[in-house]
Parts: sequence; structure tokens; C-alpha cells
Amino acid sequence: MTDVVVIGSGLAGLVAATKLALGGKSVTLISKGLGGLQLSQGTIDVLGYAPGRVADPIAAAASMPAPHPYSVLSSDAVRAGVTYAAELLGDRLVGDPSHNVLLPTAVGALRPTCLVPPEMAAGIVTGGIQYALVGFRQLKDFYPQLCAANLARQTAPDGGPIYARAISLDLPAVADMADSSALAYARAMDDPSYRQKLASLLKPQLAEHEVVGMPALVGYRDRTAHRHLEELLGHPVFEIPLPPPGVPGMRLNEALVAEAKKAGVRFVSGAKAVGLVAEGDRVVSVGQATAGRIRQYTADAFVYAPGGFESGALTLDSYGTVTDTVFGLPLHGLGQDLITADAPADQALFRVGVGVDKDMRVVDTTGHAPYSNLYAAGGILAGAIRWTEKSGEGIALASAVTAADSILKGA
Amino acid sequence: MLEPDSYEHDLLNRASLDHCVKCTICETQCPVAAVTPKFSGPKYVGPQAERYRHGESVDESLDYCSSCGICTHVCPQGVHIAELNSVARAAMKADHMPLRDQLISRTTFMGMAMTPVAPIANAVLKFKPARVAVEKVVGIHRDAAMPTAHTQTLVGWLRGRTAPVNPHPRGKLIFFHGCAQNYFEVETGVKTIEVLEHLGFEVIVPKQGCCGLPLQSNGIFDTARSWVRKLVAQLREAPRDLPIIACSTSCGGMLKHEANEILGVKDADLLEVGGRTRDICEFLLEMYDNGELDTSDWLENQLTIPYHAPCQLRGQNIGTPAVQLMELVPGVTVIESGAYCCGIAGTYGLKKEKYEIAMKVGKPVFDRIVATNEGVAACDSETCRWQIEQATSVPTVHPIAFIHQAMGLSKVPVRAN
Repeated sequence: MTDVVVIGSGLAGLVAATKLALGGKSVTLISKGLGGLQLSQGTIDVLGYAPGRVADPIAAAASMPAPHPYSVLSSDAVRAGVTYAAELLGDRLVGDPSHNVLLPTAVGALRPTCLVPPEMAAGIVTGGIQYALVGFRQLKDFYPQLCAANLARQTAPDGGPIYARAISLDLPAVADMADSSALAYARAMDDPSYRQKLASLLKPQLAEHEVVGMPALVGYRDRTAHRHLEELLGHPVFEIPLPPPGVPGMRLNEALVAEAKKAGVRFVSGAKAVGLVAEGDRVVSVGQATAGRIRQYTADAFVYAPGGFESGALTLDSYGTVTDTVFGLPLHGLGQDLITADAPADQALFRVGVGVDKDMRVVDTTGHAPYSNLYAAGGILAGAIRWTEKSGEGIALASAVTAADSILKGA
Repeated sequence: MLEPDSYEHDLLNRASLDHCVKCTICETQCPVAAVTPKFSGPKYVGPQAERYRHGESVDESLDYCSSCGICTHVCPQGVHIAELNSVARAAMKADHMPLRDQLISRTTFMGMAMTPVAPIANAVLKFKPARVAVEKVVGIHRDAAMPTAHTQTLVGWLRGRTAPVNPHPRGKLIFFHGCAQNYFEVETGVKTIEVLEHLGFEVIVPKQGCCGLPLQSNGIFDTARSWVRKLVAQLREAPRDLPIIACSTSCGGMLKHEANEILGVKDADLLEVGGRTRDICEFLLEMYDNGELDTSDWLENQLTIPYHAPCQLRGQNIGTPAVQLMELVPGVTVIESGAYCCGIAGTYGLKKEKYEIAMKVGKPVFDRIVATNEGVAACDSETCRWQIEQATSVPTVHPIAFIHQAMGLSKVPVRAN
């Protein structure tokens, strides 16, 4: 047995497992797939809209009403979670947890986020910024003309203008490839000679003071690629996330998995967790459907971080019943119309999930904890619509770090 | 064209396809698509192309899938991508199976043919003009790693030795050696048996044939089914309440899930045998986790071991038990290869049209091993070991060798140089 079993290898699972392992616990992490991080944009969103655009996400988190996860977690816990990730990832993230920034999206909208990879930092919008947005004829996921036209019709938060123009390059990722993925480009960009080829095509087209925006493909595993390209061009360069799975999310995922392994976390991936065995009020073991049999993993404590509807941990059947497919835990947010036509983006269904107390111990709708050693974190938590609020990573980090601390303190 | 009621047909049309949300995580992780445009990626040839097949093949690029299975492993929606693609390839090649694929998929035949003439067979395989001829006539690449034949099989060793008479306080278990341990990797089989006996088990080795996996991965399904059924019957000749220990990751995986999920063999006997099958490192680590493996008298070994977890092991969804197990040896530090596949993927890398792709797939593994080894590397799968040794010149052994040595059972230390 190990001290703790963590279920799920997204941001919440990886961070909880790492913190527990660094805190001296033996940890086994079981997961069905690769985890959701590489579907993310590679940024740490804490709280972008509540419902208006948020400037200080930590302060705004403190005033979120129940049943939002931030109403259970204190703003100190949110700050601690985000700060922990920033320290764990070192120079892979820049920014201030109390200060949101705006970054251009692939369609030229301005998206609020909090911590960003250094490869994106030059794109943070300020009045008077001059963007040169660079696309590739062989890359179908980014249209610089669309991005530039939309950016140019907005103003920066300080009221200043935004200048933007498009540049298209005719440069396949691999010779003769008519349709290249961003990942194929990122792998090509790991080669310094490819960066030189790109720079020789692009540099003559750039004007003074321009900030170069490119789809997120400036190197996959070579961490010097971004700085090298900036040096070759003599201009700041920033990446714009593309539809998932995206290169910045992949980089973040690989970095966190490496940290977890370094801390001694044992990974058993590829098979779904299938139910728990309890004795009295304690979970004794969790099953995993490995090849040929269900293997039981016993532990003293369990962190449940499987994600929500998007990972299949929660499902809605044709009778309108929502179920936790892994453990069948009691769900919060039911007992109302889950889907209505009034506000398409604001459906009660999306707030359904598992409830927790302040230690992140799973509780039923009366506040009673059915198990004394089962904690939950991340996308499974009830009360938030992460994609409209831009709060997914903040909730994951705050709940994961709180759950890990509860276990380390013996709560 | 497939028979309308065949298992292949049902699988090709099954609902698992509709679970694909086109997230393309599998495309990002595919080691073959990363190195060659000849393979368009698991989602393209799988859930996407499948909709147009109706039992017939639409895209020859499917044959460039190495069947490493990482696509299924990482799929967040539970789509059996690799299994779908294996079945679709079998359908595609059904009418024109190359002689080469027929030959290399019959390991027992190769072993039986080579063992009596082992020195000659080994010399021929090292003789360049002979390999050029083989490449031209049969299609096995001249530089591809081939196994070394031995004059004595594992079964021959068992017959010739005096079995230990010490008591067996932990009872009996069954050893499934697979063809490779019997013919080509006899030492791994011997060490596995000696470790288990040292721990106090009585090891039963029933007569056993090939599991049929190489046939299956080359798309020769009917023969593969009859072979795996025969093996299941042989393993059930032994007492039916004992664990079955395998030290070949691919053959163990065949019993655990591939015969069921790819060949569609749903016999209760197979499922029963699969449920009892354990990889040797999985078995030993589970003993350790349960407090049943005493490592206090294990000998120290100050060694950094680069380790590659084979794709066939990942498919069993048991994690990487060899890493934790080897690190129980005092002084051992394990460095994981950090890559999914060494390129060989069973017999894929032997084929002349795929050899160069396989070497590119394995390059990150080879680079890491070359950079970090102290004279020896470790890997659970025999075909991967041959590939890694061929590519890096670093002697590569099964992790059990380090446990054998730590228990004081090895006359010669694992690190030869």
C-alpha cells in the first residue's frame, strides 16, 4: 500500500500528488488517460469574469457566493494554491497572482488570465501596442488576418489604441507537407536551423516596434527556442494558444509530470478507477480496471481529482440523471431545472459536482462527510462554470493544495 | 472484405467509435506520426477513416501503425484506437499476407529451426551478404536486430538441472515463459525461476506453445486464435488456483487483454487465465507493497540504470513496477527513457520498409540510454532489448537480472564491462 492514492492526472491530481510526495507521503496516482492539462491553454486562469471582467482575481475570489468552490476555499487558499504552482514550475510561469492580464486569442479577442508562460508574456495588451500577427499557409488553425482585424477594432484596458496587422508565411513544418499541425511546427522549431529559416523569411517584413504574435508553436521541448527566435528577429515574440490539444498545455503537462516523478509519485495510468471499498467511515481501497482484472489500491487517504463532465467522471443520462461514474458519490446542485433555454452559456447542469468542506473532504448535501479520508479537488467540485468564469486552474490549484495540506496535517 | 457476422466486422462498427470526440490527444502522443508523414496518425486512420471502411480498407497508411498502443493508453474517452487499427489492418492484409509477415510471426518455428544449429544460425545472421539476401528475398531489413539462438532451451535447462529440494513455504505458482525465454532469452527465464524459488515458491512450468501474439500483430488472426486457445488449455493443465507469472511483457499482455480485445476470444477459460496472469515485476512489487518481500539482505549495487518501459507493458495498465522494484536494490538509481516506444514494437522494426522509421521512433530512447548508462540498461521486453542493444551497443537486460544479483544468486555480475 501507499499512504495516499490520487485519482486523476490533470492539474489538480498532479499538484496534489506532488505536494503530498514532497511532504513525505508515498503516493500512487491512478488515471484513465493522459490528464486534461494538455487540453488547456498553458496559462493559469484564476478568475477572469465575476461576471464582469476581474482585475484582482484573489480579491474577487473572496466575494464569490456559495456554492462556488471559492466560497468554501478562503482567498488565502486561492493565493496559496496559485503561488505553490508558480514555485513548483519556476521559470515556466510569470505574473502576479493578484493581477490579471489580457492576452490575444486566436480569433483576436482579449482573454483575461493570471499567470502565463514566458513565451506568451510579450503579448500582454497595453495601449499603443503594435502587433504583427504571423500565420502559416500550411497551418489551418490560425488566420492572422482574422486575429489582426478583430484586435485592431478594440482598445486596451488603459484606453489606448491597439494596432495589428497580419503576415502570412509560406513555410511548411516538414518539406512538402500541405497541412501541418501546430505540434509538427513546434517539433520543427526545436531545430535551430528551422528557426533561422523562419527568421530569414520573417525579419525583412517586420517594422520597428512591432511585437510578433505567432500561434503557439515556438518549440516543443527546446526551451531556448523562444529566446533564440527573439534574438534572430530582434523583436519580442509571443505565442497565441490554438484549439486543444495545444503545445503550451503539453509543455506544462510534461513539466508537472516530471516534477511529480522527481518527488517520487508512482504513476499507474491507462485504466479507469472503478469504485471504492469502505470499512465503516473509511475508504480502504480504490479499484482500477487494469488488463485482465480489477486491481485494488489501498491507502490511508484518497484524493479524488478526476475532472467533471469533460473527462467522463460525471455523466447525464437520457432521463436527466447525473451520476459520478467512478464512485457514485452524492452530487450537489441537483433538484432544479438543469438545462434551460434562457441563458445558453449559464446552465445549472454545469455547476453539478461533488461538495466539499473547508478541508476538501467530500460531503453530502447535508454537509455530512460519508468518508473521513476521501478528499476531492479540481473539475469534479460543484458550483462553478469554469470556462465562462475562466477559473479552472485556480480552483484546481487551490483545492489540490488545500486537500494535500489537510492530509499532511492529519486533518 | 470481411464476413458480415465476424468479430472483426462487429468491432469495426462498434459504438466505441462514437466515443471519439476528436480531441487528437492520441495524435500528439503517437511516436510514429511524430517521425514520418507516411503515417497520418491514430485518429485519422482509426476513428476517422473507420467511418468509410465498411469492412474494406481505404488507406494503406494504416500499415505504418506500429501497434504500440499508446493511442488507446492516453485516450481520455476510452476509445480502443489501437485495437480498431489492428483489426482494420488484418482486414486490409487478409488477401495478400506477405511471406515475410507469415515467417517472422512464427517464433516457435524460428526458435525450433535455429536452436539445433545455433552457432551456424547466429553466424549467418551476423554475415552481411546473407542479410542483404534475406532483405531482398524476404523483406527483413539487413540491419534490423535479430535474436541470438542458444544451444540449450529453457525447457532443456529445466530438464537437465536438479530442482531445488528446499521447502516451499509460499506454495506454488505457474511460470509462463513464452517463446523468447525458451529459445532466445533463456537466461531471463532461468533468473526469473531462481528468484521465485529463492523467495520460497515452487515453480511449475507446464508444457506451453506460442501465445500467437506475433501472428496477431501481423494480422494473421485465425491462426493466432487457435494458438492462444491451445496455450490457455496448456496453462490450465496446471492447478487452476495459482498465479501465472510472465516475464515477457508482450506474451503476458496477450493473455491479459489482447487476445480478448483484439482477437475477440471471449472464452471463459481465457478470461480466467488472463485474470491470474502477472508480470514478474508487477508480482514482486505487489508482494513488496503487501509487506511480503523482505529486501533487508539485498546486496548493494551502486549503479545508475537507464530503463525503458516497453509499450507492451504500458498496455497492461500496471504502471512501471520495474522502476520501483529496481530502486529497492540499495545503491540503484533508475533513469526512465522518457519515451513511449523504442521502435521495434514486436516485429515492426524488422521490416525493410519500416526499419528507418523504427530507428527514428527509438532515437530518444537510444540517446537517453547512451547518455546515462554505466555499462548496462534495462527493459522488460525481449524484442525491445534486442533493438536497444543493436542501436546503442549497450548490453540490455530484463530488470529481474538486478533482483537476481541483489539476492546473491548471480555468479557473474550483471554489468559485464
